[in-house]
Amino acid sequence: MSLFKRKDSLPIPPLDAEKYTTVCQYCSAGCGYNVFVWPEKRSGTAKSNAFHVDLSQQNQLLSGFSYTETMHNVITRKNGNKYNLAIIPAKESRINKGDYSIRGGTNAQTAYTPTGHTKDRLKDPLLRKENGFVAISWDDAVEIIATVTKSSIDKYGADSIAMKFYDHGSSGLGFEDNWGAGKLFLSGIQTHYLSIHNRPAYNSEVWGSRERGMHELNYDVDDARLADTIVLWGANAYESATVFFTEHIMPNLQGGSVEEKKQEFDAGEPAEEGRIIVIDPRKNATITVSQDINAERVLHLRPNLGTDWILANALARIAWENKWYDSDYLQKRTDMVTFEAYKSKSLQLAKSLDAVLADAEKITGISRKEMEEAAGWIAKPKTGGFKRRTLTLYEKGIIWNMKNYDQVAAIAQLNVLTSNVGRPGTGCGRLGGHQEGYVRPGAPTPGSIYAGGPPKNVDNYITGGGGKIYWVGATDPYLSTPNSKFFKKSVKKRATNLLDYLDNGGIPSDPKAYIAKVLEAFEKTDGLFMIVQDIYRTHTSEDAMLILPAAGWGEAVDTSINCHSRLLRIYDKFLDAPGEALPDWKILALVGNKLKALYEADGNKVMAERFSGMEWKNDAEVFEAGSHEFGDNKATESEEARLSAECYKGVTHEMLRKLGNEGIQTPVRQDPATGKLIGTKRRYKYSFASKDGLFKWYGTDAWTGYPAEVAKYVDNPAYPYWFTTGRSQHVWQTMYNDKRIPEKLLTVPLPYLEIHPNDAVKLNLKTGEMAEVFNEEGSCLALVYVNDATKPGLVFGLMYHAKGTMNNLTSSYTDPKTTIPWYKGTKVGVKKYTGKLDDAIKTVSLLSNNDFTTS
Amino acid sequence: MSDISRRKFLQTTSASALLFFSGLNNTHAAPAKAYPSKKIGNIRDLKPNEPLAFNYPDEQSPCLLVKVDNETIGGVGPQKNVVSFSTLCTHMGCPLTYSKGRLVCKCHYSMFDVSRNGQTYQGLASQWVAQIVLRLDAGTGNIYAEGVEGLIYGRIGNLKLS
Repeated sequence: MSLFKRKDSLPIPPLDAEKYTTVCQYCSAGCGYNVFVWPEKRSGTAKSNAFHVDLSQQNQLLSGFSYTETMHNVITRKNGNKYNLAIIPAKESRINKGDYSIRGGTNAQTAYTPTGHTKDRLKDPLLRKENGFVAISWDDAVEIIATVTKSSIDKYGADSIAMKFYDHGSSGLGFEDNWGAGKLFLSGIQTHYLSIHNRPAYNSEVWGSRERGMHELNYDVDDARLADTIVLWGANAYESATVFFTEHIMPNLQGGSVEEKKQEFDAGEPAEEGRIIVIDPRKNATITVSQDINAERVLHLRPNLGTDWILANALARIAWENKWYDSDYLQKRTDMVTFEAYKSKSLQLAKSLDAVLADAEKITGISRKEMEEAAGWIAKPKTGGFKRRTLTLYEKGIIWNMKNYDQVAAIAQLNVLTSNVGRPGTGCGRLGGHQEGYVRPGAPTPGSIYAGGPPKNVDNYITGGGGKIYWVGATDPYLSTPNSKFFKKSVKKRATNLLDYLDNGGIPSDPKAYIAKVLEAFEKTDGLFMIVQDIYRTHTSEDAMLILPAAGWGEAVDTSINCHSRLLRIYDKFLDAPGEALPDWKILALVGNKLKALYEADGNKVMAERFSGMEWKNDAEVFEAGSHEFGDNKATESEEARLSAECYKGVTHEMLRKLGNEGIQTPVRQDPATGKLIGTKRRYKYSFASKDGLFKWYGTDAWTGYPAEVAKYVDNPAYPYWFTTGRSQHVWQTMYNDKRIPEKLLTVPLPYLEIHPNDAVKLNLKTGEMAEVFNEEGSCLALVYVNDATKPGLVFGLMYHAKGTMNNLTSSYTDPKTTIPWYKGTKVGVKKYTGKLDDAIKTVSLLSNNDFTTS
Repeated sequence: MSDISRRKFLQTTSASALLFFSGLNNTHAAPAKAYPSKKIGNIRDLKPNEPLAFNYPDEQSPCLLVKVDNETIGGVGPQKNVVSFSTLCTHMGCPLTYSKGRLVCKCHYSMFDVSRNGQTYQGLASQWVAQIVLRLDAGTGNIYAEGVEGLIYGRIGNLKLS
């Protein structure tokens, strides 16, 4: 009767099982995990085992030890022997305290096994031939890439090479792989056509904060338990940074951290259970869980799409009008010259409060009463005149909003105006999606339009016929890039043109002849030579000429930081990568070293030098090499603001192995007095990260309506619904692992839409039916859930799924200041699907995922 | 989990569910090799959406039997709408409450759909809740528990408590 094979007992690790520490491969929370590996035939006993838990007894609730069906797997190592693998949430980690999410709980299931869910991992470099892909050696693959790259640089210039590579930690192997990619693409090739995994350009999504002197990761998990008020702005924490919510935000709302508050707060300062403001057009699970805990302390604001910065400025104006700010702080810590622009453009002091709020009501759809209540919760001093402590975290609803730069800047400024940075229980920044681990040489575009930008839009370059080589690393833009249908169609056409040329007369098997023909095709066609480097075949790799097999999480030593404490830890190697798969840094180094050799053979010392410094023997050497990019980190506690947020200079793999789940918080500084390496718990207590240490204000733009790419739909009756997207708790990114795990694919078998009951009546749609959502950009067929998460007139779609992407519908608009897309808003039509329903609907749950009530 | 989360959980949990926990370490089931067959109720006595509590396969494993409004995966009866599940949340062992066709955990808000094989359709539990294999004696209407599909929370094996 089970929909898939279940287990009713689990193997026990013997006392001498191999033990490793790691961190979850998924979300920004970065939960600590312990890994146990032992030969399949060996077993510990209930009383004596490597868990050091008495397994002869029924485990008590909330004990902090969990070992479930999904936490075990059987792996085969390169020696041919089988081993049990258990990946268990770490009770001793202060991030998760033994808690885990539905994503992290399945870490063991993602391990490579030759006969299990992951058996189709990439094992060899694959070259596309007439009838599909064939395996080739690394030697041939590296020769082809390096020679074609060199010829392309020499003939067409470095900008003929474009790339789209991940820049993050966790599932992407953090600092090591990022330094590898940085050395090859930024130091070596030096193309301007760089882009980051989830977007069309090479940019920060938070220049609006960074250019104020405030890095977005400036708080600690403790601040979520200490805050009087938590603001989640376009950030569905319960579903996307789950354990951060359940272990740090939820206890605060329940009153469980009042004692901690009393210890941290000033003498006489009121300390009570927290409040939460969630700003999101959708009534998502974060809101309904919070309401189930204490509805009176939850405020939900549902702004019209794209209008959040107007709301942030309105809240700031209310705080200004009520004098809920500290003049002394503003004078000493912020730049009073640029403050004038903020006062005139953002606070609009030339206009009356009534006029500003009336405008804001009209634009945002939020009532003045709600704005005043929210501003009070954020900024109104507590009884006794004590400053309120507010932690504001924003994520994709803001960074992927219309006008990325102004949205982020407005929220950062609201928090600094109200002194809500640098004190316990405060902070302002990103909730984060994945973990981080960025260290690279300087990027060609240092900042927004106000700081040397904007960066180049690589999607437009590629779809417009630019570039010869396009290297895609650990991302699947056919699903994930905005306006993805057009992107896919354009890339496919160029890839086909190249293949057709190569195929005419047969695709040469000899690498040298193959290379010569590719170069000929570059001359005679607009053909695109796409390289895809990943752990599985992807949607995009269908049109690659070359696919490179990469090592995944657990298959190489990785270091990354989480987002909510910048906690640097080691993610140790406990698995063998399948077949010939290699860590990304090693693949990139092979190509870099080959390019160096080719230029040396040419006698071109200048170019050879650009590709030097990639002769690493192991991952510890890459980690060390990258650390020099951070410069001198000798600094006192009060000088921390001048350090790069992810600075780990002086830290080694060996040191991190000893620290285990404890880790060390970046930026790591070398104390001038003692020479010791010291982590940083919370940032910007003493100064900000600008040259003079002062926070730099910015006067935001006024409301000017929607950009042309979306405005064309606004009054068009064919597209009556506003459309936004988001994620599901269950699945990570494009489902590259999850589509292989039965529990996940059965629960989220199809892309889905959420539609309000009022609209469902008009559309004659019921939960469990299917509908096509469409506009002039593209369409997607999806399973329908009718519920009250959305508002009438607003439809929500799962951003992307292995079986279809809502990015087919997103526009090509990017913020002209930053080149960041507006993924989260456009308009669509919805049409009921009248064909045979997908069989998966017979087994999927059709219950509403935002209703937690039991009465 | 913090102390207050425990308090919150205590506040929101019915007294009858707590009884299972108070007795946990005082009872010791005998080692068993195969799932026992245990009569847990009669189909004629079941009222829609009013779950019946019982323990299976031993006294330390709280479960419930419920007749829901629609056909279920693994259900018995003419409408295949009588199902049974462990009521220990597979995430961290908190008690599950039946409501509106699903099992809800108030510790971290995992929710399991009883009609769809106990799948975690929302929340943190990476393992679906364990489903009890039922047999209906058509003549008498008696319902027997005869096995468990999936691991019961907090044990190394469903039949391995000593």
